[in-house]
Amino acid sequence: MTTMESGMEQLMEELHQCRRCGICRNAVYDARGFDGICPVYENSTGFETSFMRGKIIVALALLNGELEKTARNSESLFDCTLCGNCTQICPAEFEPAHTLELVRGLLAEVPNQVREEIAHKILSNNNPYEEDNSRKRKWISELGFDIPTNGEILYFVGCTAGMRIPEVAKNTAKILKAADLPFAVLQEEPCCGSVLLRTGKPEAAAETAERVSNAIKESGAKKIVVSCAGCLKTLKEDFPNKFDIELPEVLHILELADNLLQEGRLKPKALPGKNTVTYHDPCHMGRELSIYESPRRVIQAIPNVNLVEMETNRDTAMCCGAGGGLRSYNSELAKNIASKRVQDAIDTGANILATACPFCEHNLQSGAKIVGRNMPIKDVVSLLAECVE
Amino acid sequence: MEESTIEKISQIVGPEYVSTREDVLLSYSASASTGYDSVKPSAVVRPGSTEEVSEILKIANDVNLKVTPRCGGSSLQGEVIPVEGALVIELMRLDSFELHEDLRSATVGAGVTFGKLDKLLKVCGLWLPVYPESSLVATVAGNVAVNGAGPGSTAYGCIAEMVLGLEVVLPDGRIIQTGSEANPNAPGPFLRYAFGPDLTGLFIGSLGSLGIITKVSVKLFKRMEEFHYETYGFQESEQAQKFLIELKENNVNAVFASIYEGRILGFFMDMLGEEYHIPEHDWPPFTVSITLGRLREDQLQSDIKRAAEICGGLEGEVIGISELPRGEWDDRMRTFARSSYAHGWHWRILYHHQTPSNWHKSIEAIWDVMDEYALLGHTAGFATGHSSYNFYPHLYYFPEDKEEERRVREAHVDLSKRLFKTGAVPFKLAPYWVNGVDEMKEYMNVLKGIKDVLDPNGIMHPGVMGGL
Repeated sequence: MTTMESGMEQLMEELHQCRRCGICRNAVYDARGFDGICPVYENSTGFETSFMRGKIIVALALLNGELEKTARNSESLFDCTLCGNCTQICPAEFEPAHTLELVRGLLAEVPNQVREEIAHKILSNNNPYEEDNSRKRKWISELGFDIPTNGEILYFVGCTAGMRIPEVAKNTAKILKAADLPFAVLQEEPCCGSVLLRTGKPEAAAETAERVSNAIKESGAKKIVVSCAGCLKTLKEDFPNKFDIELPEVLHILELADNLLQEGRLKPKALPGKNTVTYHDPCHMGRELSIYESPRRVIQAIPNVNLVEMETNRDTAMCCGAGGGLRSYNSELAKNIASKRVQDAIDTGANILATACPFCEHNLQSGAKIVGRNMPIKDVVSLLAECVE
Repeated sequence: MEESTIEKISQIVGPEYVSTREDVLLSYSASASTGYDSVKPSAVVRPGSTEEVSEILKIANDVNLKVTPRCGGSSLQGEVIPVEGALVIELMRLDSFELHEDLRSATVGAGVTFGKLDKLLKVCGLWLPVYPESSLVATVAGNVAVNGAGPGSTAYGCIAEMVLGLEVVLPDGRIIQTGSEANPNAPGPFLRYAFGPDLTGLFIGSLGSLGIITKVSVKLFKRMEEFHYETYGFQESEQAQKFLIELKENNVNAVFASIYEGRILGFFMDMLGEEYHIPEHDWPPFTVSITLGRLREDQLQSDIKRAAEICGGLEGEVIGISELPRGEWDDRMRTFARSSYAHGWHWRILYHHQTPSNWHKSIEAIWDVMDEYALLGHTAGFATGHSSYNFYPHLYYFPEDKEEERRVREAHVDLSKRLFKTGAVPFKLAPYWVNGVDEMKEYMNVLKGIKDVLDPNGIMHPGVMGGL
């Protein structure tokens, strides 16, 4: 049996673990903090194929030949953020969201223009934005201090912070500077490949992983700091588990900031005005890596800030809609999901919706436009940076 | 299905809520009934109101199109598997909720799950105290349609006992309201047995074969917060059975009570013992696991004391292990989903009711069948209401083993016949309960007459109710 065949057999076995109970649709389980499960079900026409039970039926049919492998027949498998809320509540002995990610990888022959384009852009440009990759360091020129390309602490910026939301990158740098921690940023930072993995391009992801691994080795890094939940999950978990690549310690800037605050190495001043903040847990950081408290402790460490929780939070948090390639694959759906999450934040009475992932921030901003309410969306990194020298 | 029919249905609900896509049809060909063959419908529609359901049924009736109503899709005995080429009418968009606090009742749309309702009621200090063990997926209307029960039923009876009235769309599209709400001037649901015959009861357990339930009005009760979890041990099954009867006789309020014999308890421990933190124990041959519930602490204390006295009087022992009943009760909204994963196999289930005094007869029949057919399985159950006991034996098979699956199907039918002989009754009137059973002939003839009157074209979920 080839590796490919045994992989397929194992995957089929996992898919067969589903007993079609349907708990992954819209379970409201107050005792455990669930108030709905699948954001796609809740923000679409809601047919069975919108949530995991139906997706698994479709996946099995595609893989066993019962259903022809066409773009149309596999559409539902890509209309998913892979947020893992279904995994959180699923009683079966498998992880539905991870399994669906693997299924996408096995459907290589299914035409899917979106993922092909993303993969092409990333492999050609080292970022999904079809831009000159050196722009990932462009924000440094606005800092007033320079950042070397080699060092023991490496800030892995990520494509979205580097090229779309540079404030996150600048504020991460400010925090590190305020704590007096010397750090580096790669000269040519490749994409971590998260989006390639999520959309089912494992070979392309392996290629980018190799690039990242080499670049990190050359930088002399002993610790990697990231500001993106997607980068965090990919570097910390996927690299060793999927590509057998061991990196130095990887941590989110908010985990590091949490430690620095506790050690007294960061002393935030009060944030001006009245600030009621609610925190959205990025799926990659929360459900995937169980990092729930560091961001909250950082928020609570800022004087003049009151933290309030949305109805679903931590391991039962509803997704922002950006993940799993959905923002690219079905941006309207992704934005609608975000608008629901923004509404969740509005319902708390908060005047700031904070998160810890540029992907989430970007999509939630789109969601806020749909809701039509002025709800500032900020990265916790930016909140903290405002209050430290 | 004719393109023109799809077009007409699209005009009613909007094209986005009708689908004939292959992948969608496939996903509606199955449900949580893993032991049943999938059957593909020809279209699926997701109406957003009772009126839309009515208009769809008028069209279906005109063109003699078979329809299959479906809510949460969590049923386990093939209740929502469509017939070939049927139109599936999925009701999850009917999610209305109306509270009538003064009447101690609520009206919910067919798409409201027990989990959702429980959350809505909790803030008012109320509850609907019957929880099918699929409460996070099952809708109230779906459970009424299958005549279900669950934790809470020990004190309050099956879901039918909670129903005050139904809104039903008949196969020809007429909309009727049963119970006190049949009077449009009524302030809301307050009496089921109004206006003569109990039409409400006609649709409870009818599996969507007489009409589509679009709204259910249910009784509400003040939410209990005082619970006591206890296990009681007995050497003989008769003692355990008598214990349940005497608790009822003495008005000791068990909201959930189950008898476990040793083998079954062992199976349960393998499945959930560790998770529920149930300590190792040398369990007696028969264990009764009980959640006592009361509104007031003094009532609860009185019940605890009385239950122990009754247990002692029957030569039983108060075991003192609370984790088993606590786990059952705390997990009551999803136990079905958990048990679905035992051993990672697929299964067939044979829900039925027995009397507590005949509890052992079901157990004996179930074990006999499992032994004869060389199958793995178990049965669990709980006391339900006045003097009944709900059983749900599981017969497991490995989905890849076709021969074993064949044996399970055969054993399943055989078991239904044997259970019938013990005096057990089904609440899902599946064909296997009545096919070839002489004693049920006249009953089925009457039922067929009713079906023929309400559904002369036979479009409503044909076959699901006793093969009609």
